[in-house]
Amino acid sequence: MGKLLLLEDGTMFKGEGFGADVSTTGEIVFTTGMTGYQESITDPSYCGQMITFTYPLIGNYGINRDDMESIEPTCKGVIVKEVCRRPSNWRCKQSLPDFLLAKGIPGISGIDTRMLTRKIREHGSMKAMIIDDTQDVSHAFDQLKATILPNTQVAQVSTNKAYPSPGVGRNIVVIDFGLKHSILRELSKRECNVTVMPYNTTAEEILQLAPDGVMLSNGPGNPEDVKGATALIQGIQGKVPLFGICLGHQLFSIANGGKTYKMTFGHRGSNHPVREIATGRVSFTSQNHGFAVEEASLENTPLLITHREINDQTIEGVRHKQFPAFTVQFHPDAAPGPHDAVHLFDEFMEMIDAWKEQH
Amino acid sequence: MMKEKEVVDALAMKRALTRITYEIIERNKGVEDIVLVGIKTRGIYIAERIADRMKQLEDVSLPVGSLDITLYRDDKGKDMEATADLTASSMPVSIEGKHVVLIDDVLYTGRTIRAALDALMDFGRPQKISLAVLVDRGHRELPIRADYVGKNLPTSTKEKVVVQMEEIDGQDRISIQK
Repeated sequence: MGKLLLLEDGTMFKGEGFGADVSTTGEIVFTTGMTGYQESITDPSYCGQMITFTYPLIGNYGINRDDMESIEPTCKGVIVKEVCRRPSNWRCKQSLPDFLLAKGIPGISGIDTRMLTRKIREHGSMKAMIIDDTQDVSHAFDQLKATILPNTQVAQVSTNKAYPSPGVGRNIVVIDFGLKHSILRELSKRECNVTVMPYNTTAEEILQLAPDGVMLSNGPGNPEDVKGATALIQGIQGKVPLFGICLGHQLFSIANGGKTYKMTFGHRGSNHPVREIATGRVSFTSQNHGFAVEEASLENTPLLITHREINDQTIEGVRHKQFPAFTVQFHPDAAPGPHDAVHLFDEFMEMIDAWKEQH
Repeated sequence: MMKEKEVVDALAMKRALTRITYEIIERNKGVEDIVLVGIKTRGIYIAERIADRMKQLEDVSLPVGSLDITLYRDDKGKDMEATADLTASSMPVSIEGKHVVLIDDVLYTGRTIRAALDALMDFGRPQKISLAVLVDRGHRELPIRADYVGKNLPTSTKEKVVVQMEEIDGQDRISIQK
């Protein structure tokens, strides 16, 4: 089936459809990971977005049962140069096109993803659409221009009800802004007794559980759209050790007086070098963010910059100067990507223990 | 036969030092008045490493002093006095009215720290003294506790805690021997 990919700036690509045979509209972004497409497609942080994979062959090891980052993927589309329809891998349970078909997500192949990526780099992430090649193109462009993308992604992907992920160790509350399963996996490896709570939980509800530590999860969209989080974070910081990842990092910065901005094309991929300022140590990290914390806005806030991206010097981690709380913009839980920074979960555990010792 | 078990590896040790640095920032409004004082050999290296991290993070160079407490010990061995060096302690700035963070590798009976407090007082009267240690192994014989602890290590008195540091031992690790 012939499909068209339309961009907000008027560009049109012709390609071949795979996965679900539906039209779709979303924000187009690109990710640079060579592997890890299954983790990316199921990552709730991509909610509402169409993912361009810059690596030319996608799907060659299929879909397995172990690498899911959510139960229901919420991305809007998958854009590739070439899709593999007959994967080969010992873990493979399904091909990528079959998986997308089952999940109702459209894909398009045969796209020159190099050119597409350059366009996104120049114009920034923009609205895009996948339609049948039989549809009226000029009408579709008009529709695309008129489309207003939703800003309620967090409400869409967060859990409605609190649920436990029992363990025998420290009590951790995870606030689900669009939680990746790998965060729970890392906590489970450390035997934590986890309670996952919805994004609109209040500080009182959390403190009532008397947790040893609270995690602010990753998630999709603009942090400024997650209104209740500021009061929530201000209500718990200083009372319980905090660790935030990705959206959690941005929300934590906002709650402490920082500001965020939309990056032109964001950081998405699994090879982003990040320097830990205290030690000078460089880690290669998995990242997926379209917003970042503005450096100038952190002056006169109680936050200390702890990590920086090496390529563009953006802020990748902060720490509170008076409270036991630190957050990172990248994904220490990897999935997909390198495990260089996985020790941050150990640091969180050590911070919890040190805090307990004092109180 | 001596059995040795590694309890903290190089990475975890660096992490512990970074966390102590963050905690020093966390619990002090402004680090300008702080003087780091390491207790001979490994305490000094730990103090220098914390100062390095502080420089990177806050862009302030904290003064690092060193203390040789041999002469102040209450449990002097027979050959200790012979090896004591009167000039081994050094203080780059006056500690009068400052906040001294005393730093050692292992906190055990607390006698070293008591001696260090004596030694420190001979240099002046700090406004405040706090204590940072890489390992707290318990079994205190004096009413002393650390403000910043890298790792709490429950041990028996029969065991020996060995801290190794790259600067002097060629590697970073903490192990228990028994």
